[in-house]
Amino acid sequence: MSYQDPQPARITFEQWDELFARIPDELIDRFHYFPPNSFSWSKYLFPPQTFAIYGARHLRRLKFDNSLASLRLWGFVNNESERLFRARQMGKRVIAVMGDLGPLAVIVNSFPDCIPFYPDCWWWTPFAMESKVLLDAAASLGIGEATCFSRAALGAFAKHSYFPDPDLILAATGASCDDYSGVESLVAKLTGRVKWVETPLRLSGQNEQLIRFLVAEYHRVVSALEDLTGTRLTGTMLKDGIRRANRVRHLTSRLRQLAYQHGVLPALETMMVEFGCLHYYSDITEWTAILEHLLSTAEFRLKNGLLVLNPESLRIAWLTPPADPLLLCFVEDHNARLVATEYVINQALSIIDESLPGLAGIARTTLAGSLNGTSAQRAELLITQARTNQAEGVIVSGILGGSHCAMESKLIAQHIKQRHNIPILEFDVAPPAKEVDRQTRTRIEAFLEVLRSRRCQKS
Amino acid sequence: MSEILTPRERFGLLVIDEVPDRVPLFPLLTSYAATYSGVPLRDYYTTGETMARCQLQAREFLQTDFISIFSEVGILAEALGSEFIYPEDDLPILSRPRWRTLQEASDHLQKCSNPDPSSAIRHFPGQTRFRVYLKAIDYAYEAIGDRVPILAYIPAPFTTAQQLVEPEAFLLGLLDSPELILQLLKYTTEAAISFSRLVIRAGALPILVDPLASGSVLSPEQYQQFALPSEKMVIDYWHRYDLDVVLHICGDTTGIISLMPATGADLVSVDKIDLEQALTAVGEQVRLIGNFDTSDLWLATPAVIEEQVEKMVLSGKGCPRGYVAATGCEVPLATPRENLMAFVRAVKRAGGYDYPKH
Repeated sequence: MSYQDPQPARITFEQWDELFARIPDELIDRFHYFPPNSFSWSKYLFPPQTFAIYGARHLRRLKFDNSLASLRLWGFVNNESERLFRARQMGKRVIAVMGDLGPLAVIVNSFPDCIPFYPDCWWWTPFAMESKVLLDAAASLGIGEATCFSRAALGAFAKHSYFPDPDLILAATGASCDDYSGVESLVAKLTGRVKWVETPLRLSGQNEQLIRFLVAEYHRVVSALEDLTGTRLTGTMLKDGIRRANRVRHLTSRLRQLAYQHGVLPALETMMVEFGCLHYYSDITEWTAILEHLLSTAEFRLKNGLLVLNPESLRIAWLTPPADPLLLCFVEDHNARLVATEYVINQALSIIDESLPGLAGIARTTLAGSLNGTSAQRAELLITQARTNQAEGVIVSGILGGSHCAMESKLIAQHIKQRHNIPILEFDVAPPAKEVDRQTRTRIEAFLEVLRSRRCQKS
Repeated sequence: MSEILTPRERFGLLVIDEVPDRVPLFPLLTSYAATYSGVPLRDYYTTGETMARCQLQAREFLQTDFISIFSEVGILAEALGSEFIYPEDDLPILSRPRWRTLQEASDHLQKCSNPDPSSAIRHFPGQTRFRVYLKAIDYAYEAIGDRVPILAYIPAPFTTAQQLVEPEAFLLGLLDSPELILQLLKYTTEAAISFSRLVIRAGALPILVDPLASGSVLSPEQYQQFALPSEKMVIDYWHRYDLDVVLHICGDTTGIISLMPATGADLVSVDKIDLEQALTAVGEQVRLIGNFDTSDLWLATPAVIEEQVEKMVLSGKGCPRGYVAATGCEVPLATPRENLMAFVRAVKRAGGYDYPKH
């Protein structure tokens, strides 16, 4: 079987179809989710056309990295919904973890045949499908436009067609998104069976006390999972779960470094990689293999000077994930590239200290994460990366209706202005649509012009 | 009352072996959509936007679960050189096949060093209705593609081949020149695949229709020798994209029903066959689509239709792999609206599964 990646490039939807025609059948047959199973339905190496036909309309407008590894990534990410249903059909336990963005999935994944997933991530769906279906479903249950797009998760729960009804729902509250806590409450009302977990705000001088508190919370989670599965979680099982999570985090860290420092992977694929640290797209084994494939592709590119993005392009730091993936493509289309990101998921990216007792290690990483700290701490996380990678501008994207964004974006922008002499652009991501709205488009274009003229002045 | 699932969500569950809220509803509303909208048929099949708008209107009225981009099965033959006339109030009619005899077709295909149908398709687009199809798909997809699957009917290689050669010569060739038929089928198979790629890019789920391969035309042996292998090649290609493939064969399929799963189709759409018999024959292997008699839909009273459709749906729900309530063939142009509404009511009433309310 011979297939060689073409010269690295960002390609269109139509171009991927041309490329896919050259991919041998044997290669399509090779990759399956939930390995070592190899059911005919568990293949996933399919092009964007497949998922567009099933409703992911936004794919027609995005640009993609043209490597086989990236095709693998997209196929895998796009069929997660199916994968969750298949998991249930295979007898696995499907556990919804909500609100803490990363840590709970590590614990769940330490149990055999337990599949964690974040319904929070269904906030991408209205954008991927350019659709209000899930948002309307959430509105009919009492949570409308005044709330963050994460309300789509409530719609998904109500419909029972985006993931199977979970065997257990773990919902973190406290130091979490305000709006999402509201969503969680409505999920609790809808399903009548949410197990709450409190995740505290990081406070200076109280770290050990907070870690003890969080460990106690995690023990409750472990008990719930033990009751559900009839399996006692041993120290070895937990260590193994942490080790596998850390493997994903190490690979992600290296990929981010290569993408942001050397431009060997576009921003969109890199964002999907980062978000894979949350729950591994419901299959940690295959996700790890995909990351390894991506990393070998990225390293090959670097070694051979095959960059996918222009190294001379403007260097941007981005704070808060843009709910609309088209924004990242838009920025790259305008000869800029991302060199630093703070997507509020730092707690899922940081390495868990394996020398500590398992739950304490997870708790310590959680407390050090971006979700549990202050706005200033989030800003600092970004600044550190931005300085290292010489970012020339910062984009802070807020979520329309996201109650914390209205306040936090301002605080973060202020903090960055005070500490770091760098231009900042702030805007709210518009509701799902088939193109970037005119106002945002103009503002980004103008911002990039400013950065270009600053660069000229400096040189 | 609004339903909990959109058609796309409903179909999505069906094809991953999950039980949706009710059986999907699929009266084959093709050119009937023009009648429904009061649009001359010729406008429907020569203007993409009109085709799409008619489809959208008919779906809006009946709340069915699919959009059907289709007029008739000549589209591919026309692209490959057969001539059709376009009556104002009728579907395109084959006026002159590309070749008079199979031998002429064979000579032509041999003469071309590379009889690549995709280049023929590129050569003809100004004169064909491909653009109509693709425009209709694009329009419908942008309008409603997040909620409703867009189906584009692709004529199967056997059906297309029959329209490239004089019918009598083609039918005789099945008996005395099988090698020439197979040569032609190779060509039309490549054409079907080339066309389907355009459809796939436009956002529609291609479904394979092979009306001229029905038991009324072919014996089971002939079906196995000629139609099935070419259907399978197209379906195999679509499976490269992981598409859930519908194979529709009109007419009497009693003799070939047990052969149809060998094509690889995931959903088999049947017409004139006892549904229970089809279910017994292939229900463990494929999802079944069917099969309300379209003459009854046209001529019976709403009350009778409701009663018969309910019976059909209750029977179809017994299909282990899943079931889609459909008409056996295209809805006749003269079908009274109230009859269609009776069909829809009955499917929705009898087709429900045990599904959580919230």
